[in-house]
Amino acid sequence: MAEKYGKRQTAMESGFITCHDCGNLVRAGTPPEVSHLGCPRCNALIHARKPHSLSRTWALIITSAVLFFPANLLPIMRVDFMGSQQYSTIMDGIFYFFHEKEYGIGVIIFTASILVPFFKIIGMTLILLSIQFNWKSWLRHKTAMFHFIEFIGRWSMLDIFVIALMATLVNFGSLTSTQAAPAASYFTAVVLCTMFAALTFDSRLLWDTDVSSP
Amino acid sequence: MWYNSNNYPTFKHFVPYVTYTMSEDPSLIACHACDLLLKKPVTSPGKKLICPRCKSTLYHKKIDSVNKVMAISFSGLLLYYPAIFAPLLTLSSAGMTQKGSVFDAFLSFYHQEYYFVAVILFLTSIFFPLFKLSLLLSITIQIKLQIYSRSLPFLFRTANSLDEWSMPDVYLIAILVSIIKISGIATIHYNLGFVSFVFLTIMTRATASAIDSELFWQKVFQLKKSVKGVPANG
Repeated sequence: MAEKYGKRQTAMESGFITCHDCGNLVRAGTPPEVSHLGCPRCNALIHARKPHSLSRTWALIITSAVLFFPANLLPIMRVDFMGSQQYSTIMDGIFYFFHEKEYGIGVIIFTASILVPFFKIIGMTLILLSIQFNWKSWLRHKTAMFHFIEFIGRWSMLDIFVIALMATLVNFGSLTSTQAAPAASYFTAVVLCTMFAALTFDSRLLWDTDVSSP
Repeated sequence: MWYNSNNYPTFKHFVPYVTYTMSEDPSLIACHACDLLLKKPVTSPGKKLICPRCKSTLYHKKIDSVNKVMAISFSGLLLYYPAIFAPLLTLSSAGMTQKGSVFDAFLSFYHQEYYFVAVILFLTSIFFPLFKLSLLLSITIQIKLQIYSRSLPFLFRTANSLDEWSMPDVYLIAILVSIIKISGIATIHYNLGFVSFVFLTIMTRATASAIDSELFWQKVFQLKKSVKGVPANG
C-alpha cells in the first residue's frame, strides 16, 4: 500500500499545482482545476497532472510494440559487395560482431537496439497496468524504473547513427557500398514513440490513490 | 479581438475562474515525480535534495551555474562548425579513399530517400545541438546583462525540453562503433572533425550538468518582475 511510505499530503490535495516546465509551486483552488492560464514564472500551461497522460502513453506504447516487429524482422542494412547484395537485420549485425570476437561492441549494440526498446515497452506497460489496476506496491521501484526508462530512451538511436555513418564512409563506388533498408524507418519510429511515451507519462499518477483523478 | 468583454466565450476552460497567485509560502516545494508537498530545506551548493517518499532527485544545486553555462555553450558553438561539417575520418582501402562528415551521414539517408529517418537524423544530430547551445548562450547573456525579452521564459523552456533530443553523445558512441566495424576492412585516419566532435560532445554534456534550472528560473522571474512588476494573478 502507498501508506507503507507514510501517509503524507500531496500538492494537489492541498490546492497547489507544480508547473511541469519550471517546477514552480502555484496556488490553485481545492481541488485544483485544469486551466488554460499560464504559470506566472515561465508562462507554460498549468495542469495538476499531465493531460490525458494514460491514454496518450498507452497509444504510444502500443504503437511502438507493433512497430517493434517489422523493426527487428525486416533488414535494416544492405551491403553491396562486388555486385552481390546482402541484407542484414539488427540481429545479424549483432551476430556479426560476436562472430568477429568483438564482444564489447556486440553487447553495446544488443543493449541499445534490442534490450532497451524491449525493456522500455515492457516496463512502461507494467507501470501503466499498475496504475489502471491500482497496484500500490513497489512504488519506489516503479518510479526509479520510470526515471531509468526516461534516461535510456535516447540511446536506442545508436544503431541508426551507425548505419548512417557506415553508408557514408563505406562507399567505394561499385566495389563496396552500404545502404539503409526498410527497417531503419520502423526502428526510428519505435524509438520516437517510446521517447514520446516517456514524455507524456506522468509518474505522479503512480502515487495518486484515486485513479479517476485527472 | 474576436470577442468583446460583454460577450465572454462560453467554453468553460477559457473563463479564468481560477486566480493564480504565487504560492504564499515560498518555503514549500512539491516533488515532480510523486507530488509530495514538502518544506524546502536549506540547500548548500553541490548538494542534492532527495524526495523522502519516492527517492527522486528534487533539486541539485550547482556552483556558479550561469557563468559556467555561458562559457561552455560559447566554446561549444565555436566547435560546432568543424564538428559537423569537417570530415570525421578518412578511410583508405585498395588505393581508394573515402571521407565523411556528420552532415554527409545525414545526406546519405536523404539521398537514399529515407526522408523520415533523414529528418530525425538532421534534428537530433545537427540541428538540436546547435539550437540548444545558441539558446543557452542567448539566455545566459540576457541574464548577465539583465535584459528581459518577452520570449525569455519560452526560450528557456524550449532549451530544457531539447535536453534529451540533442544526441551528440549517442552519436559519438556510434562513431566509435563504426570505427571498430570499419577497422577490419580499411585503414582509418582521424581528421579535424573527429576531434571537434569529441569536444562538442563534452561541451554539450557539460552544459547539461552545469545548468541549475531552479536558479535560472529564479533569475528569469526576477527579470520578469523588474520589467512587469509583481504579477497580480499570473
